[in-house]
Amino acid sequence: MSTTLSYDRLSEEEKHAHFMERIEKGDKIEADDWMPDDYRMTLIKLISMHGISEIMGALPEKEWVPKAPSLRRKLGIMAKVQDEMGHGQLLLRVAEDLMKPLGKTREEIMQDLFRGDLKFHNVFHMPAPTWGDAGLIGWLVDGAAIITQTNMLKASYGPYARALKRICAEEVFHAQHGEAIIMALAEGTEEQRPLIQDAIDRWWESLLMFFGPASASTTGASKQDTTIKYRIRTKTNEELRQDFLDKYIPRVLSLGLTIPDETLHYDKEKGQWVYRQPDWKKFKEIVRNNGPKSKDRLDLRITAYENNAWVREALSPDGAVV
Amino acid sequence: MTTNNGRDFYQEFEVFSSKSNGDQVQHQFSLLAPNEEIALVMAQENFMRRQPVADIWVVKRSNVRKMTQEEKESLQRLDNKEYRTTKGYGYLKKKWRHYEQNILDEKEILSWGGDEKQ
Repeated sequence: MSTTLSYDRLSEEEKHAHFMERIEKGDKIEADDWMPDDYRMTLIKLISMHGISEIMGALPEKEWVPKAPSLRRKLGIMAKVQDEMGHGQLLLRVAEDLMKPLGKTREEIMQDLFRGDLKFHNVFHMPAPTWGDAGLIGWLVDGAAIITQTNMLKASYGPYARALKRICAEEVFHAQHGEAIIMALAEGTEEQRPLIQDAIDRWWESLLMFFGPASASTTGASKQDTTIKYRIRTKTNEELRQDFLDKYIPRVLSLGLTIPDETLHYDKEKGQWVYRQPDWKKFKEIVRNNGPKSKDRLDLRITAYENNAWVREALSPDGAVV
Repeated sequence: MTTNNGRDFYQEFEVFSSKSNGDQVQHQFSLLAPNEEIALVMAQENFMRRQPVADIWVVKRSNVRKMTQEEKESLQRLDNKEYRTTKGYGYLKKKWRHYEQNILDEKEILSWGGDEKQ
């Protein structure tokens, strides 16, 4: 057919133009399709970080599995922790297929994480000392995650969009699971109610940081322009943060809770929330694995990897036994 | 402890499943596992934690012959195939109306498989 392209005969510029044409008309790019190097590298960075964050994000919640206040709550939070691990598995597969031409595998992803070269999401470096924190993570941290993930449901990279579709469907359960814990505490005893307020006070700054700096000028680095150009996402960090505030501030206030920022208000003229900026210097430290729980959670992951080495060895096709 | 669990351990599997007995099998996603048996267990854990499932297949990716980008793009059909579809014969509806008859369209014809006597 005359419309068939012979890729071998196209120059790099022609391939690039064809690629941009495809994503601009809404075509999905698949793993073995031609793609520009910076598209591949941007996706690898984004998706390996997303995948590993699902796994690291299960760690603060998993602490609450043995301590959940009832059997029903234990089953609920166990299912959620299992989902996060499942999401990690899905996303790592997407990242691994992108890394394959570079000769990198899951082993490198794990080693990069252990060495600190692969970052996990800034929100998962924080402590979760009470059951109120467990509920708040499910309600507001997952709420924030839903905002960023649904923003990429139409991503130009097909395998990522398909993974996100599965993930977002389960996030609906996560959101309601978090709401159920919060609701029980909010309507609970005088000892239970403060658990949520304390958790909000602890997490508010982290929730603002969740979406990242508004622009590269704040912290020196931001990939948001590239991801928007390549149609991986549509909204900027600040737009996502505003969406989150729009959706969740009224819900937080409706339960009689307060937000620890007396400057917070809605500017009707600008049509956006005005809030006290989080400490972006602290953010930079957290993403360098210098957050309050960074080391503990990495150590936990490394220990799990080492303790399970015998399983991988026993099942290895080479069957090498040390 | 030195292990060889890095590069050689995992193999790529494509996962397929059907929702209920008699349903078609659909591609779900891929996963890494050291062998078929564990791939099946992982498939269930990764993809079928809550939705109903009646059957699961795992296929080693190396056994799937996928199309190249060039081959995929050559599949795009020309849009002048109306003679192969009912769309090209839509004028019959009006004709039959003239003879006071209804057109036997897809909806009508596929309804003939029912057991009930009309």
